[in-house]
Amino acid sequence: MDLRLNDAELAFRDRLRDWLAGVLPELPPAPDRDDWPARRRYDTAWQRRLFDAGYAGVDWPAEHGGLGASPTEQLIFLEETARARAPYVGANFVGLLHAGPTLIVEGTDEQRARHLPRILRGEEVWCQGFSEPDAGSDLASLRTSAVRDGDEYVINGRKVWTSHAEVADFCELLVRTDPEAPRHKGITWLILPMDTPGVQVRPLRTVVGSSEFSELILDDVRVPAANRVGEENDGWRVAMVTFSFERGTAFIGDVVESGNILRETVAIARATPARGGGTLWDDAALRRDAGRLAAEVNGLWALIRKNVSEASAGMVPVQGASVFKLRFTESRQRIADLASHVLGRAALTLEEHVVEDRVNTLSFTIAAGTSQIQRNILAERALGLPKEPRWT
Amino acid sequence: MDLTPSADQRDLRAGVRDFLAGRWTPDRLRAASASPSGSAAGSAGLDPDDWKALGELGVFALGLPEERGGAGLGLVDAAIVFEELGRALVPGPLTATFLAAGLVPGADDGTSAVTALDLGDPTLVAEHLGSSAQVVLVDDGLWLLPADALAAVPLDAPLDPLTPVWRVTDPPEGGRLIGTGADAERWRTRAAVLTSALQVGVAQGALDLAVRYAKERVQFGRAVGSFQAVKHLLAESLARVDLARAATWTAALAVDGPADRPADGGAAEAVSSAKVLADDAAAANGRCCVQVHGGMGFTWEVAAHLYLKRAWLLETCWGGADEHARRLAATL
Ligand SMILES: Cc1cc2nc3c(=O)[nH]c(=O)nc-3n(C[C@H](O)[C@H](O)[C@H](O)COP(=O)(O)OP(=O)(O)OC[C@H]3O[C@@H](n4cnc5c(N)ncnc54)[C@H](O)[C@@H]3O)c2cc1C
Repeated sequence: MDLRLNDAELAFRDRLRDWLAGVLPELPPAPDRDDWPARRRYDTAWQRRLFDAGYAGVDWPAEHGGLGASPTEQLIFLEETARARAPYVGANFVGLLHAGPTLIVEGTDEQRARHLPRILRGEEVWCQGFSEPDAGSDLASLRTSAVRDGDEYVINGRKVWTSHAEVADFCELLVRTDPEAPRHKGITWLILPMDTPGVQVRPLRTVVGSSEFSELILDDVRVPAANRVGEENDGWRVAMVTFSFERGTAFIGDVVESGNILRETVAIARATPARGGGTLWDDAALRRDAGRLAAEVNGLWALIRKNVSEASAGMVPVQGASVFKLRFTESRQRIADLASHVLGRAALTLEEHVVEDRVNTLSFTIAAGTSQIQRNILAERALGLPKEPRWT
Repeated sequence: MDLTPSADQRDLRAGVRDFLAGRWTPDRLRAASASPSGSAAGSAGLDPDDWKALGELGVFALGLPEERGGAGLGLVDAAIVFEELGRALVPGPLTATFLAAGLVPGADDGTSAVTALDLGDPTLVAEHLGSSAQVVLVDDGLWLLPADALAAVPLDAPLDPLTPVWRVTDPPEGGRLIGTGADAERWRTRAAVLTSALQVGVAQGALDLAVRYAKERVQFGRAVGSFQAVKHLLAESLARVDLARAATWTAALAVDGPADRPADGGAAEAVSSAKVLADDAAAANGRCCVQVHGGMGFTWEVAAHLYLKRAWLLETCWGGADEHARRLAATL
């Protein structure tokens, strides 16, 4: 075991640092949270800069236009960009982290040629239409139907919690093509152009007050059969491929952010007078809580390095990914709580960054597999305990 | 960067695990912890043969250079071995003897057990004093004292039945200076890492025992491990031990060598983080193990309490979680 980076990795890191130091000061100010067209422009412009500098698709294979970077280089990329406070992947998330990698593995040559270069250049924004009102954790119970009509599918149904739908060009859509088949056997993965007639996007207001996600109403939406990824009724397997890209590294930037918020909180505590004299930071209980959270953040870094090392060795860190998701999301919420406690009654406005964060991080233990589902996964797959009741 | 054990490290772990499985069987542990009220002096003395065997296995010398009879291995290798020792609940002043190897004659090959006393602690209590030949006093230097020169009385009914403890009655005096202030710092740092490794092992052992029971014990017509309330307790235990292990390996590596860790902080932070997470994992997993065993978990017969009590002992060693948390806070 070894914590050191090798020469190539150090060179990769230094080149990236230099580039970030040059490019970040040139960026325009980040747009307003609710101005989605502006957010799309901002996020895709950043993607274009990454592309021009040769940093687009760090984890994508080189033959598909990516950087073909090793897992350790991906870690360096995500950690360094977050530390330098570069823009987050934002609206490019689904394209770069889900749809693109899925097309690389499962798509046809035409589909790859059509989409991959545009995703890399920030010319195409994707969203994910998996969840439905009655199919969340139990995704395989999804009901949105697609009926074959000549060389088209006719789609009817509803999707929900679709992030970035308002500004997306395409949607990775899971539909039911065989309602008679066992649940996992009748699903198909389709590319849905969002401008197809019959697609209606209804923004949903989140607890932060923003419209991060939407409801999709699909009413006789016609999609060419050529937009199918993988075989008809083989979509569950394709979706599992999609999910496999979600594990592991997606949250690295957020761990950097955890450390930042913790340090900002301490700085505020040091500067805030306490009742009866001194500052809030004189409170030993606060220091202990902050120290415990610092230990947690350091532990998460250690776990990331272990997961990345396992990925480098060709292993799939399923257990490590669930442990990470579970612990990261919960400690992230505790850090946000601590920050708000330090602010006290100043924490009564969402304008305060840490307060918005406190509300926003409520979603962390829900999205991408709830904490309860992560515990089920760990108990069953890692510990071999009897399985939950499941559809067959 | 690589935070997965190498083939050698996996072999090392397997070798130690096999050896301990043969020696520290559940029956043996039960017998060794048989008398709950036995006084420290009377019961649970270390068997010199056990200690010798550990010495022959190379447990204490593995960090020494090869020309001095060691294996020239690093702290992370020691952490792997110590995790196994913790998992098997092996009793004895393991950390002190390991750190004394090369400083105190007889420590490296297990000829004598060496205990230690952290003079920075306001309450002076020594473990395994009766079975140890020497005590290392860790203060702003390292001093060596014959064990029988320490004024101390054994405590009745030690919390961990496998770890007899003595309360020091008079501040220790004298002794032979064997290390500088820097050596003492080095000792504390490494002792905290090795204790964390023991705790990771305790946490893993408690989890293994609980999982085994949850698969066997049937209530309401099914294994209790099929109930989600129980599964989720165990999943949390797994998460705790995984996190603590990664943190402990990282600490061991950071102490041993310069690292271009892109993450925050240096070795001291890594060590304190490991101790916080490992203490938490061991104590919480021990408690979980008792809970999952139901009434059986409250019996002396089942080993669940031994893990928890060892965890409660080790969390007092070389800085508790709260102290390490405050140290971390000071770096924020
Ligand atoms: C911010 C955000 C963004 C999202 N973006 C997208 C997106 O872009 N595209 C998309 O398709 N989806 C998206 N989702 C949806 C997300 O994947 C689902 O919310 C999630 O899978 C949970 O499903 P659900 O909301 O229906 O909750 P449910 O599955 O109804 O769960 C309700 C509660 O029951 C618990 N529960 C359910 N099943 C079990 C079980 N077997 N054992 C124990 N407890 C259980 C859950 O943990 C939860 O506490 C997003 C969600 C959020 C919060």
